[in-house]
Amino acid sequence: MPTSAEPSANGPAAGPAAALDLRDVALAYDRVPVVEGVTASILPGRGVALVGPNGAGKSTLLRAVLGLVEVVRGSIAVLGRSPAAARGEVAYVPQADVLDAEFPVSALQVVLMGRYRRIGWLRRPGRADRAAAAQALEQVGLAALARRRFGALSGGQRQRVLLARAIAQEARLLLLDEPFNGVDATSQELLLAALARLRAGGAAVLLSTHDLALAHLACDQACLLNHHQFGFGPVGATLTPELLRATYGGRALGLSGDDLILMRP
Amino acid sequence: MSGPAGLLAPAFMQRALVEAVLVGALCGVVGVHVLLRRLPFFAMAMGHATFPGVVLASIAGIDLLLGAGLFGLAVVLAVALFGSTRRVDPTSATGVVLAGAFALGVLLVSTRSGFSRDLAAYLTGSIVTVRPGDLVVTAAVAAAVLAALAALHKELLLGAFDPTTLAALGYPAVALDVAFLVLLELVVVACVPAVGTILPVALLTAPAAAARLWTDRLGVSMAVGGALGAASGAAGLLLSAAWRIAAGPAIVLVAAAAFAASLLLAPGHGARRLARRAAARSATAVS
Amino acid sequence: MRLLLDPFAVPFMRRALAEALLLGVLGGAVGVAVVLRRLAFYGEVLSHTVFPGVVLAAILGWPLPLGALVFALLTAALVAPLGASRRVGADASLAIVMTAMFAVGVALVSLRSTFATDLTLLLFGRLLAVGAGEVLLTAAVGAAVLVTLGLLSKELVLRAFDPGGAAALGYRTVALDLVLNLCVALVVVVALEAVGTMLVLAFLVIPAVAARLVTERIATMTLVACALGALGGWLGLAASFQASVRYGLRVGSAAAVVAVLVACFLACLALAPVLRRVRARAAGGARAAAAGRAA
Repeated sequence: MPTSAEPSANGPAAGPAAALDLRDVALAYDRVPVVEGVTASILPGRGVALVGPNGAGKSTLLRAVLGLVEVVRGSIAVLGRSPAAARGEVAYVPQADVLDAEFPVSALQVVLMGRYRRIGWLRRPGRADRAAAAQALEQVGLAALARRRFGALSGGQRQRVLLARAIAQEARLLLLDEPFNGVDATSQELLLAALARLRAGGAAVLLSTHDLALAHLACDQACLLNHHQFGFGPVGATLTPELLRATYGGRALGLSGDDLILMRP
Repeated sequence: MSGPAGLLAPAFMQRALVEAVLVGALCGVVGVHVLLRRLPFFAMAMGHATFPGVVLASIAGIDLLLGAGLFGLAVVLAVALFGSTRRVDPTSATGVVLAGAFALGVLLVSTRSGFSRDLAAYLTGSIVTVRPGDLVVTAAVAAAVLAALAALHKELLLGAFDPTTLAALGYPAVALDVAFLVLLELVVVACVPAVGTILPVALLTAPAAAARLWTDRLGVSMAVGGALGAASGAAGLLLSAAWRIAAGPAIVLVAAAAFAASLLLAPGHGARRLARRAAARSATAVS
Repeated sequence: MRLLLDPFAVPFMRRALAEALLLGVLGGAVGVAVVLRRLAFYGEVLSHTVFPGVVLAAILGWPLPLGALVFALLTAALVAPLGASRRVGADASLAIVMTAMFAVGVALVSLRSTFATDLTLLLFGRLLAVGAGEVLLTAAVGAAVLVTLGLLSKELVLRAFDPGGAAALGYRTVALDLVLNLCVALVVVVALEAVGTMLVLAFLVIPAVAARLVTERIATMTLVACALGALGGWLGLAASFQASVRYGLRVGSAAAVVAVLVACFLACLALAPVLRRVRARAAGGARAAAAGRAA
């Protein structure tokens, strides 16, 4: 089985502790194995692209990091703790499409949801929270649309609002599920810029995607997943034709150019 | 107008009015959450499931709220249990529990003499027999439920909008969902004296649905829903006295009419929007 | 055994038994289709929406099944356009319409001084008072429904299992759905005088769900559902008769039948894990052999 070009970080040696540490992780839904053999580590400020075909277990892996899926083998350490213990410090950015477009919330209210843990039970958002939310919307270029209903925004705008929610949460690890799906070019630019700023601030990012160009742009490392892990390491060394063909099975249709590969996701 | 004033002269009618307004307002507010969480059919099931509890409580002579409430909760848990096992799908589980619970209630009621009258009261309400003690209970339940909704507002909002993130943030998502179902069951039981067990779902759905057609904002829709619910209660009661029909169905029909009117008249939705779209289409077709 | 056969020496009990058995079998068979298509809610909708039709028929002096039939057809027509508003979900609109229609029925009934008894009658029927004519109607309609379902069984199964595939194969899925909905409506219509609008759902859903627990083959499921339905009818009637004659306890007969059906359901629920293990062991042996060959 093809292996990554660079060995993954081995536990807390000298240097900053990993924001996310996966060791030979196997996951199951109702005892049906879905994912196995995932070993990867994300340091603060790094970004990892989770690449693989549909149904490969990418979403499942993200949910496992959130502590929502049973880990049947191996271990997941989030910020040095178990996933359940680290909740609140991890921000989850779902695909905007799974959320009800008719829901009566404004963009600002959605962003405020990221602050709920900070606000605590029984209390309402305060001025500091609203300021943080406004700031976050500013960072994704949507300050003007703060009061617009979430569902009335375009797909790309909604995705940006969800990223702003993660920014407002001030989390140290961000998990994004296919954040670039169906997103227009402008929104893509703004999402990439916001992600870069987050990483510069020390946050670690794990995002799933099957757009390889965007994987290169958003992240510095990649993890290839199709139920098994087919590789983990720097983006350039991991997203190679051989490893991609192995990951996608027979679905790679051909090569064109240096880093563009045509395939059915 | 001497009409309504005359109708409201007797003390029992005044009590009935207070009950109708309280129940209507409570249902209008809670109904907004019922819609957000897509629970109208579940609310209907809860009404049916509460029916045998009401009968049992009445036979045992214990407080209606307590007996019916506990029973209803047990049934909700049963449905959740059946539904979560893979063998029985949730729709079928609800169907079985509904039908079974209903039959149980009828069985119990039929063992007593004079059962038809009781049955009618449990199924469709008998607001005119509400006593002052019942009013206090209703008011207390309304206050408690509304306070709980206010306290948990943002958590319930997030749970309805993005349950994965609620769990991801570390909230006890399942407990919160169950907490809402408990509140809903309390409301359903509180409705029984006014509208019985089959009709509450309309009060929980129609005013809130009508409110949603007029506004995009959650807080405003809760206020409008409450107001529409209270108005439906009052108007329905007056109509029932004027036309000599049962109060429960009259209240429901007023609420449904308000919903239908909103469908037709609310800007941006309903008939006016469809008409505008049709006009736009024919304009582009011509050019 | 005598306990269970004695009650039926009397003619009215025999008619009630005939009706109950017919409804049990019919409910079981149609019920399997309902459960496979997850249409239990449609039965729930119907039991609310035909009620005003029944009341109108009673007021106007028409035969009750006619009023029910008219409103059943009305329901089929109404349900489709209810998904029109996206802001208010289809389930909310449906819940409002069906409850409002039910409220109309109740309001009409409440105009009469015999409100309470009329309501009880229309909602829960009077199984012990069925006449020979009603039994014949049930038999005739039931036979027609069963024959239709039998002729269309493979298409209905396909439609339930793979709607996309059925459409792709050129089946008119709308027509198939309409046929099934009509069958459900007909069951409600013939059952309503005997067991009322509110308990029909029990006959449709409980035997079928119970059968689903103990077998995965549709043909077997249908037989089991019919058998359970019939069993419920027989035992329920016998039990309610004995309770009233021996213990002076008056219980509604239709409700007693449903109680027996629920008991059967619970028994099947208890039996299900045992049966699954038996089936799994048989299948596991075959699978292991196949896997051994493939490795």
